[in-house]
Amino acid sequence: MRLWKSWIVTKKDLSVFKKNKYVLYSLIAMPIIMGVVLPVIFIFALNAEIGSATLTHAQVSAAVNQIVGLATMYFVLIPAILPSIIASYSFVGEKIEKSLEPLLATPTTDGELLLGKSLAAFIPCMAVTYIGAAISAIIIDVWSINTPQVGTFLIPNPYWLLVIGAIAPLACIMSVEANIIVSSKVNDIRAAQQLGGLVVLPLVFLVIFASTSASISTLLAISVSAALAIADIALFYLSKATFQREEILTKWK
Amino acid sequence: MIDLQNLTRKFGNLTAVDNVTLHVEEGEVFGFLGPNGAGKTTTVRMLCCLIGKTSGEARIGNYSVDTEANCLKIRQMVGFLPENVGLYDSLSAYQNLDFYGQLYEVPESKRKENIEHLLTLLGIWKRREDAVGTFSKGTKQKIAIARALIHDPKVLFLDEPTANLDPEASKTVRDFILDLKKGKRTIFLNTHNLDEAERLCDRIAILKTKLIAVDSPKNLERSLYNRKTIVHLQNVTSSITAAVEKLGSIKNVRVSDNKLILDMDNPEKDNPEVVKAIVGAGGSIQYVTELRSTLEDVYLKLIREASVQ
Repeated sequence: MRLWKSWIVTKKDLSVFKKNKYVLYSLIAMPIIMGVVLPVIFIFALNAEIGSATLTHAQVSAAVNQIVGLATMYFVLIPAILPSIIASYSFVGEKIEKSLEPLLATPTTDGELLLGKSLAAFIPCMAVTYIGAAISAIIIDVWSINTPQVGTFLIPNPYWLLVIGAIAPLACIMSVEANIIVSSKVNDIRAAQQLGGLVVLPLVFLVIFASTSASISTLLAISVSAALAIADIALFYLSKATFQREEILTKWK
Repeated sequence: MIDLQNLTRKFGNLTAVDNVTLHVEEGEVFGFLGPNGAGKTTTVRMLCCLIGKTSGEARIGNYSVDTEANCLKIRQMVGFLPENVGLYDSLSAYQNLDFYGQLYEVPESKRKENIEHLLTLLGIWKRREDAVGTFSKGTKQKIAIARALIHDPKVLFLDEPTANLDPEASKTVRDFILDLKKGKRTIFLNTHNLDEAERLCDRIAILKTKLIAVDSPKNLERSLYNRKTIVHLQNVTSSITAAVEKLGSIKNVRVSDNKLILDMDNPEKDNPEVVKAIVGAGGSIQYVTELRSTLEDVYLKLIREASVQ
């Protein structure tokens, strides 16, 4: 596989996305919501917990850890949700614009095209995830060192690093691949987005589970990473099997 | 340059292309005529390695359209204009061509040179930075043709290049193809525009799932009826008719008003003799014309016959 060929496709797709206001606004909105709005809500929640006179120091510490852990978990949702917007444009959009046929006629392999398009969905999603995570970390840390009951930096911690460094990109890859599969079966961007969005559901359940469990352990994060890695590998083979140029030209309607 | 041997493509129970055998010479402009659903696009897609064949052989140059490695080489040596232009509307004309130039592995300096040359030739250079979405259909078609030529391919496949274009845009595109013809490039033109095929193509194949006929437009036109010369006279007399009937080259003589309608094999050779005979018999000739069947007559007849079969 010639990676430079894939990169040409990626660069082109990124240029197209830059000019698509819907995609652009979706990309900008996510880090604002996840990076600014949610941390502020969590800080209000933490202030309420800490302000309670009945809580012991150990209870305060547990509450802070749980809420910070939950805030971190939300950064798994961004890279899982965004590909349903971007990847649906990437594949179904090409079909709608009828631009796939000349693209498939170029001396580029299926794998190179698939990788190029996947990267074009993966890169902006992870970029806004990291921007959101960085903003969120700064807001939480500024609050924590200025709060006497806490008095220390909360982020980064091993759990945060594991979520941002492993779970988030693995969730993003899973979403991109699922969207590629969905794109090969539908001819409408909204349908692709809605079906592609379904991949987020298991991750939503994970966040709900994390929010209801007594503590969010690093072990849980490692287990989730392993499960996502296995799912990514399975979906990769499935998406490769789905991305057949003959199928695309003769069966995509 | 292009060789098809019993090429067949089936989609389930439907046979889209049935045992097509033909050969296209290097530098030839070859027209592929047929009604909608005749298998023209399927054939071109097989030749461009976009879809596979069910059976038979197809070769472009030295490469057979079977393995992935061969297909990559074929795609590198052919340019393809699909029926739908498929440009990226939000990107500029330059960006569209530059993207494809990169995929076709054209070095950067050559790419810039080719883009400037093609867009200048097509009269779009000044608008190169405009988004393609702002262009008319005709201009988009020109950009799509430029895209097919960005890597200077040896073989060019054009699928309905003037479909849905207004007469002026059609003429511009046709003139451009005529210019390309001078460049010794092999051009495979899918069309159901008979006039276009007649003007542009060295040879024409008529397809309706099966190959019905392959020949030059002139030979196809002549294949329908015997060639006929019409001699317009001031007055047709029995002595004139008798003088013409005596000529061995005339197969049949028919009189209609003041016209003699003569069936003959080689009018270019035999018309002078005919004129001499008529003048010798006291005839006064106003003018001599040839009665031809058109490519449309031939096409419709062959397609109807194929439908009956």
